[in-house]
Amino acid sequence: MGCSSSLPDRSSGQLAGLNSENGGVSDAKNLRVKLVLLGDSGVGKSCIVLRFVRGQFDPTSKVTVGASFLSQTIALQDSTTVKFEIWDTAGQERYAALAPLYYRGAAVAVVVYDITSPESFAKAQYWVKELQKHGSPDIVMALVGNKADLNEKREVPVQDGIDYAEKNGMFFIETSAKTADNINQLFEEIAKRLPRPASS
Amino acid sequence: MAELSFNLLHTLDPRRDAYGFALRPQHTQRYKEYAKIYKEEEGERSDKWKEFLERLAISDQPCSSDEEYKETLQVEATECKVETVLESEESDESSGRKSISDGSKERDLEKEVHHSKETKTHEVQTWAQIRPSLSAIEIMMSSQIRTSKDMIDEQKTISGDHLPSIEEAKSPGGASEEEFDGDIYVNATSDDNANAAGTVTAEVDKVSSKNLFPLKEEVEFLVRGGVPKDLRGEVWQAFVGVKTRRVERYYQNLLAQEASDGEHKEHEDSSGVPKKWKRQIEKDIPRTFPGHPALDDNGRNSLRRLLLAYARHNPSVGYCQAMNFFAGLLLLLMPEENAFWTLVGIIDDYFGGYYTEEMIESQVDQLVFEELMRERFPKLVNHLDYLGVQVAWISGPWFLSIFVNMIPWESVFRVWDVLLFEGNRVMLFRTALALMELYGPALVTTKDAGDAITLLQSLAGSTFDSSQLVLTACMGFLAVTEARLQELRTKHRPAVLVVVEERSKRGRVWKDSKGLASKLYSFKHDPVSLIEEKKSTEGGDSLADEDKSSLNGTTNLDELLNGLSVDSELDSLPDLQEQVVWLKVELCRLLEEKRAAVLRAEELETALMEMVKQDNRRELSARVELLEQELAELKQALADKREQETAMLQVLMRLEQEQRVTEDARISAEQDAAAQRYAVHVLQERYEKALASVAEMEKRVVVAESMLEATLQYESGQSKAHASPRSTRNQDTPTRKTGLLSFGLGWRDRNKGKPTDVKESNLSHSTNEGMDPSSSEKETKNEQKET
Ligand SMILES: Nc1nc2c(ncn2[C@@H]2O[C@H](COP(=O)(O)OP(=O)(O)O)[C@@H](O)[C@H]2O)c(=O)[nH]1
Ligand SMILES: [Mg+2]
Repeated sequence: MGCSSSLPDRSSGQLAGLNSENGGVSDAKNLRVKLVLLGDSGVGKSCIVLRFVRGQFDPTSKVTVGASFLSQTIALQDSTTVKFEIWDTAGQERYAALAPLYYRGAAVAVVVYDITSPESFAKAQYWVKELQKHGSPDIVMALVGNKADLNEKREVPVQDGIDYAEKNGMFFIETSAKTADNINQLFEEIAKRLPRPASS
Repeated sequence: MAELSFNLLHTLDPRRDAYGFALRPQHTQRYKEYAKIYKEEEGERSDKWKEFLERLAISDQPCSSDEEYKETLQVEATECKVETVLESEESDESSGRKSISDGSKERDLEKEVHHSKETKTHEVQTWAQIRPSLSAIEIMMSSQIRTSKDMIDEQKTISGDHLPSIEEAKSPGGASEEEFDGDIYVNATSDDNANAAGTVTAEVDKVSSKNLFPLKEEVEFLVRGGVPKDLRGEVWQAFVGVKTRRVERYYQNLLAQEASDGEHKEHEDSSGVPKKWKRQIEKDIPRTFPGHPALDDNGRNSLRRLLLAYARHNPSVGYCQAMNFFAGLLLLLMPEENAFWTLVGIIDDYFGGYYTEEMIESQVDQLVFEELMRERFPKLVNHLDYLGVQVAWISGPWFLSIFVNMIPWESVFRVWDVLLFEGNRVMLFRTALALMELYGPALVTTKDAGDAITLLQSLAGSTFDSSQLVLTACMGFLAVTEARLQELRTKHRPAVLVVVEERSKRGRVWKDSKGLASKLYSFKHDPVSLIEEKKSTEGGDSLADEDKSSLNGTTNLDELLNGLSVDSELDSLPDLQEQVVWLKVELCRLLEEKRAAVLRAEELETALMEMVKQDNRRELSARVELLEQELAELKQALADKREQETAMLQVLMRLEQEQRVTEDARISAEQDAAAQRYAVHVLQERYEKALASVAEMEKRVVVAESMLEATLQYESGQSKAHASPRSTRNQDTPTRKTGLLSFGLGWRDRNKGKPTDVKESNLSHSTNEGMDPSSSEKETKNEQKET
């Protein structure tokens, strides 16, 4: 009905499917990674993605229902490119039931909290545990303290983020989607930490 | 009431559509193109609906026409003159509250209905009866509504303090409780028809004399063509059955309680809206249609009240992200209380079990949709599998948002028109399938997961041809019915329930540890304050208060500390406060150990589950292999059959060709024969002519003979008289004459053949009676040839 084009045969399909399940490595020079953003509602996940992909900050972003998808490719200094396939998820607690759908098979998980909200920091820790238990075993995780521009309202000290990240083998950074501080760095650092396929 | 709704504002802002919603920059151009089409369609459908409603009004409401109704509204916004039909409302509630439609002065309307409006300042109106001409539809639809009017009475008997939700007040078999028990949840909408029927009997009786079915069909047809903008709010209410659902003062009471709860804040008794929902609502209000002209401060206040009232009304749902958009959308179309009852209908009935804490039905629907996709678009799903894309990644958000923010607004409205009319979620599935049908061909050309998802998102986002979408959805998937969906849901629900059960176990552990973690966290940072907090028992920890029940005995450090017997070791510690600190640390350590143990146990359990699952998976994959093998065999058989068929076909064709060749031969032989027959015929004719001429010649011979005889006689007479030498020569003549005669006769008797032969023989044997053998042989040959 809807589709007419030819299809790859099943066996190759399964191979490729597995491939992308593991982050979709395409070749040594051009990486493709599935990245999922997790964290409490309102910490700025959607704003981070929009800043990274579109270079904009909309202080009145929309509530994310379910999840939304964007992709962005960056070039690294060693002339490799990384295409991020980003799933931005809904933050409300009950939507956590749907999260496995999106973090399963993700090569990277970015767990975001809001530095003005200890509650969101606790929620971030929940997500880290959940990922450790149910995410891909070799998943690259980043802990992000967002809204760094609101330093005067800070309630989660930088050191806490650093400590927690270190304990859990995560990369840590504080960002501001509003001022664009550290947003690109976040993704570049993630790209550097990706496991590379053995160069041919 | 359309007059009050804001959607009619035709904004001049090019970045917003006719409904006031923001347009994406990449869509402005296409929107402009379609705006014309929308306008045309709108004109057509308003005519159709107008005509239809006039007909209804004549047959149903001889006493209160829409005209009268409009006048009433013009005179006084909050009071209705036709009191037998319309209820007068909440004059007390109205003061100080402004409806979001205050900006309606700028409305630029084509409808004559609104002409006289500009000068009137709207009184605040939170409830309005819909126009009477829609009541037939209302009554027709109300048979689908399961809300029972009993709750009116129940509510009346209850003091204003604790108000039961309608869920509670309803029949004890209410659905939402069942889901949590993990029982199979049967959509009560259909089952309760009997119930509901009882409550509306009186009204139904009025119309039951008329056949309801033609009306329903006609409405269905009209709805698929779209509901006119200025009727939409009211028509939707009729579909959802707002009038039947409404309990007077219910909404106001919910709000009043909310307000009084707010006064003695921090007191969260069981009836209050939990803080987490309030916080979430506050976070989401500014993120609901940001920048929409109707959602100014008043609009946002309406939105807040609506969501809080709903959360209080149905605690099994409370507040779930997505409802903010639905509430906002409804507020654009109708007064606040009408929007409340419409929202109640949608979330409680149409989407029962969807937005609850576990979101079970929403997960079930995704499994159902995936099965339908595999059934309908196997190639597309294969391709998505190949790319590693799960259908639910994309369809999940579509379903949860009922397409709000996913497709252009005109299309959203058109889909909602049908969905609300149908009273179930069938349209959700059909629309999603239609989108896949429309965009599947493009999707199968994509090469990686990201491209596929981006493409589908952006194609769906530019589905401006709403008529095509609705038509494809309604006509293309007739087999997707509520019955079929229920069947599939029953099939897939157990799988979801297993996962949810597992999750909720995990969740309990997490909640324990979460409370603990935050305690630990704040303790580490500010031990002094924690110690000081000792006396204020209800600690200000925002995390703990959400799950007090589960934390009882483990997090209340003070309680625990008080219960601890003091160890001798502690005596050596110099300071009591230090002791306490040390104890707390120790306790925390122990608790952490306990938590670790719990987690470990849980991990082991999960591992076990995983192993079991693995087993199942192995079994499954074996079965899949078996099936695949069977499939391959079947395919082989099919191919063989095909080959045989082609072989047969070839044989057949050859036979046919041969037949054609022989036929040709036969035809040419026949033609030959005909030609020869013709030749014979010609010869016969010639023969006859020849015969005739022979006869003639015979006659002449006879004449000649007689003349000759006469001459001879005369000559003999003469020679007798003169003897001469000529007489000797003349003696030959009679011999010759006889020969000639005999020849002629002999030829005629014997020969039917060739005159040439005859001539020959004639020439060679002039005096011979018979023919020579060679010539007669020839004749026989000739005769053989002819036959
Ligand atoms: N000051 C400040 N506000 C931010 C920042 N990032 C997001 N926000 C605000 O936080 C709110 C929620 O952001 P959003 O991205 O929707 O959160 P999400 O629920 O995690 O996706 C938005 O309304 C933004 O205005 C930031 O870096 N600094
Ligand atoms: Mg978001």
